[in-house]
Amino acid sequence: METLQYWIHGFSVATQPVNLLYAFIGCILGTLIGVLPGLGPAAGTAILIPITFNLDPIGAIIMLAAIYYGAMYGGTITSVLVNVPGEAASVITCLDGYQMAKQGRAGPALGIAAIGSFIGGTFATMALMVVSLPLANFALRFGPPEVFALLVVGLSLVTGLSGRSLLAALIMTMFGLLLAMIGMDPVRGAPRFTLNIPPLYDGVGFIPVVMGLFGVGEILLSMEAPVLEIIKTKLNDLWPKREEWRVSAGAIGRGTIIGFFLGLIPGIGAIIPTFLAYVVEKKVSKHPEKFGTGVIEGVASPETANNSYANGAMVPLLTLGIPGSPTLAVIMGAFIIHGLTPGPFLFKERPDVVWGLIASLYLGNVMLLVLNLPLVGFWAKLLEIKYQYLYPGILLFCILGAYSLNQSVFDVGVMVVFGVLGYIFRKLDWPLAPTVLALILGPMMERALRTALEMSGGDLSILVTRPISAVLLIIAVIVLASPAVRLFGKRAGKD
Amino acid sequence: MKRAWQIMCLAFLAAAIITLVSSFGYSYTDRLGPGPGFFPTWLSLITGGLSLALFAQVTWSRKTPFTPGSPLPEDRAGTIRIFIILAALVGSLAFLDLLGFRITLFLFLIFLPLALGMRNWVIVLIFSLLGSFGVFHLFYYWLKVPLPMGVLGF
Repeated sequence: METLQYWIHGFSVATQPVNLLYAFIGCILGTLIGVLPGLGPAAGTAILIPITFNLDPIGAIIMLAAIYYGAMYGGTITSVLVNVPGEAASVITCLDGYQMAKQGRAGPALGIAAIGSFIGGTFATMALMVVSLPLANFALRFGPPEVFALLVVGLSLVTGLSGRSLLAALIMTMFGLLLAMIGMDPVRGAPRFTLNIPPLYDGVGFIPVVMGLFGVGEILLSMEAPVLEIIKTKLNDLWPKREEWRVSAGAIGRGTIIGFFLGLIPGIGAIIPTFLAYVVEKKVSKHPEKFGTGVIEGVASPETANNSYANGAMVPLLTLGIPGSPTLAVIMGAFIIHGLTPGPFLFKERPDVVWGLIASLYLGNVMLLVLNLPLVGFWAKLLEIKYQYLYPGILLFCILGAYSLNQSVFDVGVMVVFGVLGYIFRKLDWPLAPTVLALILGPMMERALRTALEMSGGDLSILVTRPISAVLLIIAVIVLASPAVRLFGKRAGKD
Repeated sequence: MKRAWQIMCLAFLAAAIITLVSSFGYSYTDRLGPGPGFFPTWLSLITGGLSLALFAQVTWSRKTPFTPGSPLPEDRAGTIRIFIILAALVGSLAFLDLLGFRITLFLFLIFLPLALGMRNWVIVLIFSLLGSFGVFHLFYYWLKVPLPMGVLGF
């Protein structure tokens, strides 16, 4: 009953004309980000934060969330038409989507992706609405040891499932945590590792780091072979045929469930759900050998899982304050910029923001469907923009975004440095997501651990004698030690 | 690739040692409990240990965690394009405060397309005007985002 009242309140917030407009703009910008090669959702969302500076917090968060799930769909278009995923979660869509495009069936591939994304996103939002309040109430019981253990689980998942080398992923996590040490000590307020450089007293800017690693780094990598070969195909027949519907229905259902439940696990990232949805679909298929040759369920399932995950991953962010991916970490950063702290207290303090955001996810999914089906041809046209204009244009917004956060050229410098590092790490196949999540979670983690140790008089056993904390730490160990999880992470990294 | 991984491991090892030494300058504990040096000390020790472990794995283990091949760009043109982008970024960094957003980004957006091979001056000029003066107008006046004006005041 309480949830229903909040839900109605949320809809009254989200349906205000100005918030509808923000969601609409966010969907357009998000799809644009997803479509444009060289600009993933994390960097794209970070770049667009300045647009929201003068909006009220609800409008700002609604717009940034719409950018996030809009980008999730937009990435499909490049996967299908160019065989280049617009964002990492669309990697698996390339396998069958691109083959369908080569066979002249790009329209149904993009159509089923849009419909699957809509269904997955809508069901995930309904589930989000049901589970978020009880989970937030449960999270209110967490003390510092539990918070620390939960953060360890989140980082373990993102580390354990990243790339091919566990050691490299762990080093990248440590790198993020060490970067988070720069600035003011979160407990005592003393400056650390600042080298007497005034901008470093506020720490290394999270948003410039994301822009560098995911924006500039990606562009530098793209510069090695910047010309994309676009499939010339008719896009006027988007609606799938009856037989395609028949085989896609189950795939969409399974993708929805997989995406949502994996979204609940903090730190799992967007690639694993799409990868798992594809694997499951191949397992249950009567003709698994055809996967990779252009079967529609090979597009429907991962694309549904992708958007279902995007909305499901809002659960740990909103209820626990733990972002599950670099893009959600950027959204968390945007919450903080607008004076809001995601977590259980947000449900009590600002129900208008939380429930307005959740309600806007429904409306945003409808907007994406309406926007994407008729506009697929337009988005495809954008792929024809010459890279000599596209990449400088993206860099322009990177510079603007990095500067405007603190009106500091130093932040632009941070972005450039991390751009170079991002390029190097990509070339070496070292995962970036652990660094980004560790950077934003580091201060919370340190604060929780040190407060827990203050509570226990320095006795570390407080982390394992409290049941919730102990269970969470066991999960973290299993995640890092389990060969099955490692194998899955390696396979996802390989793909 | 093996050499690149080894260099990266050593770079992280060096960073860990520097951080460890620096963290000795902060108190490990104080009267309330762990001090500002507590977390960085442990993080740098763990980072150092992991870096050494990965270095050993890359150097002596038969199972290599990386894909064979060179991490360097395949062709010279790609390398040149990367350096052009970096030069433009460093240039914008150097002149942003001095010349302001509009002039710096105008030059940035003229330089990059031309350096990357575009020869249609009219389109390049329109693109750079829109990208610098147009974007400035949109963000500074319309979205109220503060942007640098430069010593010339515009």
